Amino acid sequence: MGLSDTEIQSFISTIKNHSEYDFSEYSEKSLKRRIQKVIDDNRIDMPMLIKRLQNDRQFLEKTVRDITVNTTELFRDPKVWQDLRFRVLPRLKKNKTINIWHAGCSTGQEVYSLLILLNEMGLFDKAKVLATDINEDALEEAKKGVYKYRFNIGYLDNFDKVIKENPFNYEEYNDVPYSRYFRINKSDDSLLINDFLKKKPIFRKHDLVRGENFYFAKFDLILCRNVIIYFKYELQSKVFKMLHEHLYTHGYLLFGMHESMLGDIANRFDKKGHFYRKKY
Amino acid sequence: MHKAVIIGGSAGSFRVITRILHALPKNFPLPVLLNLHRLKHVRSGFVEALSIKSNIPVIEPYDKESIKAGTAYLAPSNYHMYIELNKKIALSTEEAVNHSRPSIDLSFETAAHTYQRNLLGIILSGANKDGARGLKKIKDSGGTAIVQDPKECEVATMTEAALKMTQVDHVFSTQQIIDYLLKIK
Repeated sequence: MGLSDTEIQSFISTIKNHSEYDFSEYSEKSLKRRIQKVIDDNRIDMPMLIKRLQNDRQFLEKTVRDITVNTTELFRDPKVWQDLRFRVLPRLKKNKTINIWHAGCSTGQEVYSLLILLNEMGLFDKAKVLATDINEDALEEAKKGVYKYRFNIGYLDNFDKVIKENPFNYEEYNDVPYSRYFRINKSDDSLLINDFLKKKPIFRKHDLVRGENFYFAKFDLILCRNVIIYFKYELQSKVFKMLHEHLYTHGYLLFGMHESMLGDIANRFDKKGHFYRKKY
Repeated sequence: MHKAVIIGGSAGSFRVITRILHALPKNFPLPVLLNLHRLKHVRSGFVEALSIKSNIPVIEPYDKESIKAGTAYLAPSNYHMYIELNKKIALSTEEAVNHSRPSIDLSFETAAHTYQRNLLGIILSGANKDGARGLKKIKDSGGTAIVQDPKECEVATMTEAALKMTQVDHVFSTQQIIDYLLKIK
């Protein structure tokens, strides 16, 4: 029952030999689960899967997309967004431009959360936002900006906490209408992001594992949320170095709530709440 | 030989788990992995509430944290918690399984794969069927399975589902679970 470690290894090496993707340093248990799902969904066994990966490039690409799928939510972890609003973004206010990289943006809910926040703070126009992910299906979803309403009901509370309320001043209440940023259509269970938000970010395919460079050289703020959890420690270290290189001195880096920077590279940052600020 | 304990619970399990943690000594020789469902909007304060009466530290682990004896690791809200082969925690934001994130099944299954026959799995009170598949995996891997006596549970759905799927080693009251744990050397 279940895939053996040898089978996982042959899956990884097949992908590696037939494409530029490398899963050898992915966290093993979630990778195993995703491979099992590909096998179940296609109703095949491992030898057949390997054979198709060897012979069918399109199938390989689809398999990679199925494996790298990830979920994200509007304003996940409101506390982090409150910190962004009251502690981090104010320090970038004086910049002529604010360069932001959303690394591993998945289906884009947090990209839009950030844009909503920037707009409320009057920083929308000076922000340049690059949003990347390895998964092209997820990027397409992100560009469309259409989400399930019912799934997001709970996250409207998060919107309220971050956008309408001020945790440092309970008297403050900004009655920002949702319609400023999205339309809710209950009959077909959809939440549609408004066009001006959708036009703002540059969405690009990018694989953190390969770490290719892109034209924005440096950033003031990098969000890489719940991405490195899928990587083993060694690969995490590699990604930390790469993110460090892409940050300006004093730039900020934000991970997910239960992700942290391990290893020597952490000495090059000040940890402020959930944020890492680059020292040198 | 047990090398780790993993406990799953949902509705009605909070008091039980509090009692268990209160009874365990500071030098409890195993790590305790906890996967407890909580209400979507009660996301913080849970670990603090569990800590109050516990003699061993209760933490919501960070990703890739090493698993140590005498510490309780509570699956963080809104993440799945996997137990990796190198005895580290790995978190995931993959989709919910049976409407649950954290999913008890996923923690149990990955822990079973890692600890094999050295794992002790316990299912407590709860209102859904999460954990049943995971407990079976523990048994199939040679580990030990304990289920809280459904008669004692506030909500018996979860324990009954587990009992239906697996021939467990023991059906215990809370006190018997505690006695069993205290005998572990």
